[in-house]
Amino acid sequence: MTDDRKNQLGNLPTGQSLWRDACGRLRKDKISFFALLIILLYSGVAILSQFNLIAPDYQKTDFVQRYLPPSGQHLLGTDHMGRDVFQRVIHGSNISMKVGLVTSLIAIPLGILFGSLAGYYGGRIDELIVWFYSTVASIPELLLIITIAYVLKGRISAISAIYVAIGLSSWVGICRVMRGEFLKHKEREYIQAEKALGAGSFRIMFRHILPNVFHLVIINFSLRFPAAIKTEVILSYLGLGVEKQPSWGLMIADAQQELSRGVWWQFVGAILAMFFIILAFNIFGDALRDALDPKLRGEKI
Amino acid sequence: MSDSFLQVTNLKKYFAVREGLFSSVKSFVHAVDGVSFEIEKGKTLGLVGESGSGKTTVGRVLLGLLEATSGEVYFEGIKVFELKRKALRSLRKRMQIIFQDPYGSLNPRMTVGGMLGEVLSIHHLVRKNERRERIAELLYLVGLQPEHMNRYPHEFSGGQRQRIGIARALAVEPELIIADEPVSALDVSIQAQILNLLQDLQEKLKLTYLFIAHDLSVVKHISDEVAVMYLGKIVERAGCRELFSHPLHPYTQALLSAVPIPDPRRRKEHLMLRGDITSPIHLPRGCRFHNRCPQVMDRCKKEEPRLQKQGNNHTTACHLYQGNQMQTTDKRL
Repeated sequence: MTDDRKNQLGNLPTGQSLWRDACGRLRKDKISFFALLIILLYSGVAILSQFNLIAPDYQKTDFVQRYLPPSGQHLLGTDHMGRDVFQRVIHGSNISMKVGLVTSLIAIPLGILFGSLAGYYGGRIDELIVWFYSTVASIPELLLIITIAYVLKGRISAISAIYVAIGLSSWVGICRVMRGEFLKHKEREYIQAEKALGAGSFRIMFRHILPNVFHLVIINFSLRFPAAIKTEVILSYLGLGVEKQPSWGLMIADAQQELSRGVWWQFVGAILAMFFIILAFNIFGDALRDALDPKLRGEKI
Repeated sequence: MSDSFLQVTNLKKYFAVREGLFSSVKSFVHAVDGVSFEIEKGKTLGLVGESGSGKTTVGRVLLGLLEATSGEVYFEGIKVFELKRKALRSLRKRMQIIFQDPYGSLNPRMTVGGMLGEVLSIHHLVRKNERRERIAELLYLVGLQPEHMNRYPHEFSGGQRQRIGIARALAVEPELIIADEPVSALDVSIQAQILNLLQDLQEKLKLTYLFIAHDLSVVKHISDEVAVMYLGKIVERAGCRELFSHPLHPYTQALLSAVPIPDPRRRKEHLMLRGDITSPIHLPRGCRFHNRCPQVMDRCKKEEPRLQKQGNNHTTACHLYQGNQMQTTDKRL
């Protein structure tokens, strides 16, 4: 072939991938864009508070200034130890976002791995994995988390124990989805074609099937994340979660006694902080599903 | 025995199904039940039958996509089913498949170039810096342009997609192509284009085709020989012209009378078959076709007819034509 044609081959027009297609669709949806902004805002706040760059006085106690109502100086008042509630709400986002992220990073790869193996290979492997996740799923989730957390507590830090416990108890959902999808896709003709061409199992599983079902992973992530946040709040509320850091769950637990004295600001602050991030995730998750799942769009694939 | 290019002997593929929720009794779907044929190099064998006749399963078993229950396949004398993984992989380079549904047979998340490039890299066919040229060449070969390389399947029409599927099959430079109803999902106007492309390619690249279809007019256009399948068995086989001018088996006759003629003034008598294809789980005794056959005899309900020669290169499995050969059968008994 001549050099001329070689150069031509170097810069050909690019096609429209399904991902780009979905991004374009997402961008047009104003509400979901706003939800994404909120998620990014929380993430930004969480990162900044991790390095103590904002709200640095969240641990400062002042027993003279206990139970102060919201004011210019303390936006959300102070708690029973005279600490600034607003600063503690801000730092609570740190632990929440970390729990959402880390547990998803544990649960989703586990779910993908088990689900894809079960769905693709079938037979004994499938039976074993289905038995295993059915067993895990039959244990009440909170009990399982508490058990795992107790077992791990002495060995690793309390917060790591929470990460691992939530992560290990929440991979079943994504695993089921992946198993079903792999079962379906392995019979599709494009996979049969790959087999006929001599592609190996791992290439087929992770280069061909996974990209075709990855939108479900992303959707699952957007649901997993707020669920993990809620779980952490419940655990901390029960006194099984974090101890020395501010957490929305701990704040709600503290606020329980304060409420009877008419001190509502700590309770409202923590609840509102949680409400907005979970709402944002739900809205964004819905929009993601609409944009990424072609079946709901009625488009041929 | 195995001097022909592709030789299939007594191929069987049964699928196990469980009857009822709790029963451990398994029954079998007799998808392919003792099929034998051979194809000479550079020729085309058309395999026809209605849906459920097992023709697609034959193709899949040949390629090793499904495991055969029994039987043998010889590819240039090599016993395909005895090959180990590595040898099978190199054999895969020599036989390829084109699928029916051009919408389902291409990975929607991969560009055309990515798809073809992957095939080339799996088999280490060309050096990396020559890959793009080879892909462009393949696209030319099937009548597409190099600028289609970076596009995704959903940006193409059905006919173009089928061309991509053909290019993918050709990327490994195969000798045998199993075309599994390659045009039945396409518009009639596009069908002719794809059929002509397949014929051109056969000439240019010395390909051998096993052409699977349910549409006889398509098969007539492209085949050298035609085999008709019914319920997992070949019931008639002949040269293309011979079969269309002198169909022997009542099933073939019925199939032929169902071919539409594109002329509204000409009327044709339709030999309508009653009922649907029989369940391949509980096969009828005797001839598999006897419950739908317009010329059924007592013998058909008891005895299964065997494929027998009825003249030059024409075989059929029907008692109607086996009366005069009774003696030879009796001698064997």
